[in-house]
Amino acid sequence: MKFRKSLNDALAGWRMSGGVKQSAMDIINRSQRNAMVVVGATLVIIIVSLAVLAPVLPIADPTPAELHEEEILLSPSGRHWFGTDELGRDVFSRVLWGARVSLLVATLAIFFSLVIGVVLGLTAGYFGGIPDYIIAGTIDLFWTFPSFLLALAFAAALGPSLTNVILAISISYWAGFGRLMRGQALSVRERQFIEASRALGAKNARIMFAHVLPNCLAPMIVWASVGVADAITIESSLSFLGVGTQPPTPSWGYMLYRGIPNLEEAPWIATFPGITLLLTVLGFNLLGDGMRDVLDPRMKGMRR
Amino acid sequence: MADLVSYIIRKLLLAIPVIFLATFIVFLMLYLTPGDPVAMIAPAHASAADLEEIREKYGFNDPFAVQYWRFLERLSSGDLGTSVAIGTLNTDVSYLLAQRLPRTLELMAIGLTISYSIGIPLGVYSALKQDTWTDRSVMVFTLVAYAMPSFWLGILLMMALAVYTHILPIQGTVGGFGSILLPALTLGLGNAALTTRMMRSSMLEVKRQDYITQLRSRGLPEREIIFKHALRNALLPVITVIGLDIGWFVGGAVVVETVFSWPGVGMLVTSSISTHDFPTVQGCILVLAFFVVIGNLVADILYALADPRVRLG
Repeated sequence: MKFRKSLNDALAGWRMSGGVKQSAMDIINRSQRNAMVVVGATLVIIIVSLAVLAPVLPIADPTPAELHEEEILLSPSGRHWFGTDELGRDVFSRVLWGARVSLLVATLAIFFSLVIGVVLGLTAGYFGGIPDYIIAGTIDLFWTFPSFLLALAFAAALGPSLTNVILAISISYWAGFGRLMRGQALSVRERQFIEASRALGAKNARIMFAHVLPNCLAPMIVWASVGVADAITIESSLSFLGVGTQPPTPSWGYMLYRGIPNLEEAPWIATFPGITLLLTVLGFNLLGDGMRDVLDPRMKGMRR
Repeated sequence: MADLVSYIIRKLLLAIPVIFLATFIVFLMLYLTPGDPVAMIAPAHASAADLEEIREKYGFNDPFAVQYWRFLERLSSGDLGTSVAIGTLNTDVSYLLAQRLPRTLELMAIGLTISYSIGIPLGVYSALKQDTWTDRSVMVFTLVAYAMPSFWLGILLMMALAVYTHILPIQGTVGGFGSILLPALTLGLGNAALTTRMMRSSMLEVKRQDYITQLRSRGLPEREIIFKHALRNALLPVITVIGLDIGWFVGGAVVVETVFSWPGVGMLVTSSISTHDFPTVQGCILVLAFFVVIGNLVADILYALADPRVRLG
């Protein structure tokens, strides 16, 4: 008993000494109890590791140079787990390589959106006044438009390529991050430790990036996880419409598009990329939603 | 009433910059397009001097702002330009749009109807059965339906209802009313997931209110409490987002129309992108953006009608 008590005291002391460690431990503990986080994280980990490992896994070439006529439209078997498509390519391998494209585009696009949103939102929220007026107005304007419509317009104008899709999604998705960041910065800048650091002579840039930003990060990370899910949906929709990733680069959206004419005789061409796409989007959504519940229980079920 | 009118006027004024942004983006589209538009229009044997003459004549050498201003002038007179695609060469874009618009409106109207007639009852049911297995399955359904990209849902429905069972026609408009059902269902189901979640949380919120407890203590039958008193208040937040749903439907319509070859504005946009018919793409995007603006306006107005406090803000 005595041992137990001293252990508890030691733990309490340790917790008090390192607030960050405590909250990180706490977050992990609470996350494990949240079913959404567990399911979401599992899905995300499986898909990300399959995508990363695709080049070293013993799978067929996703874009073979030659067409093998005897391999065309084979149904799923031990040799081709997900069957083959109308050009005799292995669907399983293309689904995995497609995951690389989807995840790459989505994470880069969300990273750039996050950077734009953080810089603009932080500037607006921290300084207030005229910069806030201009930036908040711009954020609201972009926020009004469905990001898919904006991304479609930009992708159509820039022409189809991987870089342009990333660019198009970044330009159309940042407003959400900007809005969130601005709101957070507005409330954090009123806190006392900000005043304290200003009294100690810290410059604006230092206060913004060393003090305000770290205190606003949690909701941004949640939003980024949901954002990756949205970006994957947008990327695959653009590829489906022919303005995204271009063949022969494997992409889920384009695979689904090519699957439509073969729905009757070879439903596996569309089905497997579709299921993978659904599970990936679901995984990132669950992770984001669950993380939000863990980090801020008051916001439970608030998303729309 | 006066405060409502001034509120609506304020919201109308706020919509103006949004419309300007739309025109600006649409204008920027042409500017960003790689390649020289003049070289594309001009015949192959045109000399450099000819190209320069065309550029001068059509104002391609003018500064950006001047070109944008001319574009706005043209738009304000209702001129959306003419198509440059082979099949519809020199047809007015406004004519093409007028042909397609009713199809998209039809699709959105039926889609919205489907979305609400699934979402509202399901949300209420789920809230009444809170924390049971039925509730949990409904929530899982909404999570999956929300994560499902609309084109993939469309393909699945197509397989289930057209390819294997032949209940509904697969694509196009030849099947009469039946042919709108598949695209509308696809469009409606994704949104139904959102409606269900909103309806559920709104109903749960209302159920906790004091006046419900008071009604219960007066001995009113549960059925009457729920459907006569609780539902009315719980419906408000769900109804007010109908405007935002319109915005959501605009993006969805582009994809769904393409999946089902439904001849609306959305399909016009994708087919025009593939034929590099930029005046038509611009016109379509403007019209769709206009829908979004109207949708947001409807949302604001409904919100103010439902909650008078908003009007003063």
